[in-house]
Amino acid sequence: MSGSTIRTVTTGAASVADALADLPSGAEEEHRHGAGEALPPQSAQRGPATDCTADSAGGLTFDLRLAGTDAGAGGEDAGLLLRRRPDASGETEEVRLPLTPVQDAEPGTLRAALPSTVRLTEGRWNVFLVLAGREPRRLSPGVNDLRSLVDRVPHENRGWLGVRIPYATKHGNLSVRAWMRWPHAEAGALRMRDGALELDGRLYGGEVSATARLEAWPRRGPAEPVVADAAGAGGDRREFAAVLPFAALAGGRLWDLWLRPADGAEAVRVARILDDVPDKKRIFTYPAQPVARDAGQPAAAGPAATESAAVTAKPYYTLNNDLAVRIDRAE
Amino acid sequence: MHISFLLHNGYAIGGTVRTTYNLARCLAEHHDVEVVSVFRTRDRPVFDPGPGVRLRHLVDARGVRSPDSLGAEHTRPATVFPEADGKYPMYSELTDRLIGDHLGSTEADVVIGTRPGLNVHLARQTRRGPARLGQEHLTLATHSRSLKRVLRTVYPRLDALTTVTEADAADYRRLLRLPGVRVEAVPNSVPAPAVVPADGTSKWVVAAGRLAPAKRYDLLVRAFAKVVAERPDWRLRIYGGGRERPGLRTLIDELGLYNHVFLMGPIHPIEPEWAKGSIAAVTSSLESFGMTIVEAMRCGLPVVATDCPHGPAEIVRPGVDGRLVPTGDEDAVAGALLGLINDDELRRRMGRAALADSARFDPSLIGARYESILHDLVGKGSRGLHRTRASLLSGAYAVKDALANGQAALQGGHTA
Repeated sequence: MSGSTIRTVTTGAASVADALADLPSGAEEEHRHGAGEALPPQSAQRGPATDCTADSAGGLTFDLRLAGTDAGAGGEDAGLLLRRRPDASGETEEVRLPLTPVQDAEPGTLRAALPSTVRLTEGRWNVFLVLAGREPRRLSPGVNDLRSLVDRVPHENRGWLGVRIPYATKHGNLSVRAWMRWPHAEAGALRMRDGALELDGRLYGGEVSATARLEAWPRRGPAEPVVADAAGAGGDRREFAAVLPFAALAGGRLWDLWLRPADGAEAVRVARILDDVPDKKRIFTYPAQPVARDAGQPAAAGPAATESAAVTAKPYYTLNNDLAVRIDRAE
Repeated sequence: MHISFLLHNGYAIGGTVRTTYNLARCLAEHHDVEVVSVFRTRDRPVFDPGPGVRLRHLVDARGVRSPDSLGAEHTRPATVFPEADGKYPMYSELTDRLIGDHLGSTEADVVIGTRPGLNVHLARQTRRGPARLGQEHLTLATHSRSLKRVLRTVYPRLDALTTVTEADAADYRRLLRLPGVRVEAVPNSVPAPAVVPADGTSKWVVAAGRLAPAKRYDLLVRAFAKVVAERPDWRLRIYGGGRERPGLRTLIDELGLYNHVFLMGPIHPIEPEWAKGSIAAVTSSLESFGMTIVEAMRCGLPVVATDCPHGPAEIVRPGVDGRLVPTGDEDAVAGALLGLINDDELRRRMGRAALADSARFDPSLIGARYESILHDLVGKGSRGLHRTRASLLSGAYAVKDALANGQAALQGGHTA
């Protein structure tokens, strides 16, 4: 069943999001929409350019200026609407933020804050301007100041990790990419050496035990992972490090990487989300490595497959910025 | 004053478009300013021409796939727009006529051309009266021999020519000898960014520009390998797209720099990306001006640049707001970067100096320089005479053309 959840963040403060970081959770009202209710349609006309500023805690502020026929409409009811694009099940969700005048700025300048404490479900959220008596309109991207997200080290006192990166869609609209994870395994440097992937990273919201391991799960086919030790060097309970030989993956095609922090613990997806880059896939790329045809390969590869074909492996980030390895065979 | 710019395509993305709008916007504060775009390829311009600036087009090329859909006239080659200008294939008998109609009837006091081919139109087709100012956004040295020949014969009929560097202005004066034409260098303007300047604490070097051979990003990547060997905690982001991307990707992978050097792709606006860095790097073999150097400085970054022709040396004050190193010298680039990386205090001091020094490129100041040139041109009453002499001095091509204009030119004097 598809449906949507509406949350209204009822803060009147026109201050930076960080000032709202300690907002009590009761300030969020939640109620559900019926499946049949229409979502706001997208108007052909786009709203004004909106500047986004990120703070290191994960909050965002949105600044825009109403002009022309909008100028008089920035009253009490003006707001931003964030609507998550429907996921596979058709579920969607909305968050409303009040827009309030910015003091000492040009008339018509409004600000909305998305405090770091407000949870945004993982996904892509489209951003609309809502003015009284008008249809919601998508906003256009302005200046995104995301410097506090570069090399971000998140707070760990909250019990969950929220990441929100505003970006311009290919159609020139403003959207926000959100992640919500806990625990979270952040991938660091990757090195391709001696036919293996050397990976290190940091676990947030958990401890890396001596029995920690990296698990590569085939995206399709029999669900048996390839496993490598992942305990951090020198017994550091935060860092993990693993060496994953590509030869062991040669029998599959796409492998997703997970960290199991301890025997019997839940596995955590390895991803890279603690910076300002919403789509890693084209920017964080790695060279393909030849895969040694070693006798110890899983039988699944089959003798015929390895005899004639040059096999290469390379790590990559998925559309969700999760870490995976792909195996390619030259024809 | 009524000021009219003539631009190839004001609806496209490009340095000339942006610079023209920066200037037009500033002049529009006190003058009547229009931008005439020969072509229109989009519904709305990508860059905002600014309040008070009227933008109009001569040829609507939106959705046009083949030249004949604009009529037979557009399938016949141009004779006014010079073949030696790289945009020649896009021009035609139709553009010759439309630009000619515009320049032959303009009410402007000053017309400003923004590329060689359009400056030729200005020189040959502007009615008597308006002052004619040609802008050179590239450099004389990078023009082909045939284009230089055209400019030598036609530019004498301009009243003024502006270049973006002193070095290029000197080339024009020395090599083309344009009698009676005021040749002056006026740098491009760069507005103050909409972001807070960088504070010099991040461990990122930033570069930005088209991924074209002349930008020599291969040199920067090789130099950065040496930086990483000593300071693996520093990384490099290169913004921009272009045909060098696959080669650079291969180079980064071969050097094992895939954890340290990132090809970020094209981005707009660029200012917030500069602000994420602490040092800017420009390793071009040619920079007709060096817009990215000024942009980075306006965001508070010291710049390590190659001392290539012509721009960098006229922007960077070595040792004060950045470093200039010999063109093509990767060790020198690495050394200069490490010098700034290894000295936090020096880096921050140079960043502050860059911020202060780059204020001289503010549109208000550059606009004022243009305004003063335009006032001089419009206030000067001897242009008819100057052009008659100029016509007599130029070659056979110009003489032929002068016959067509001769009657008007010989009447002398002018009213602005």
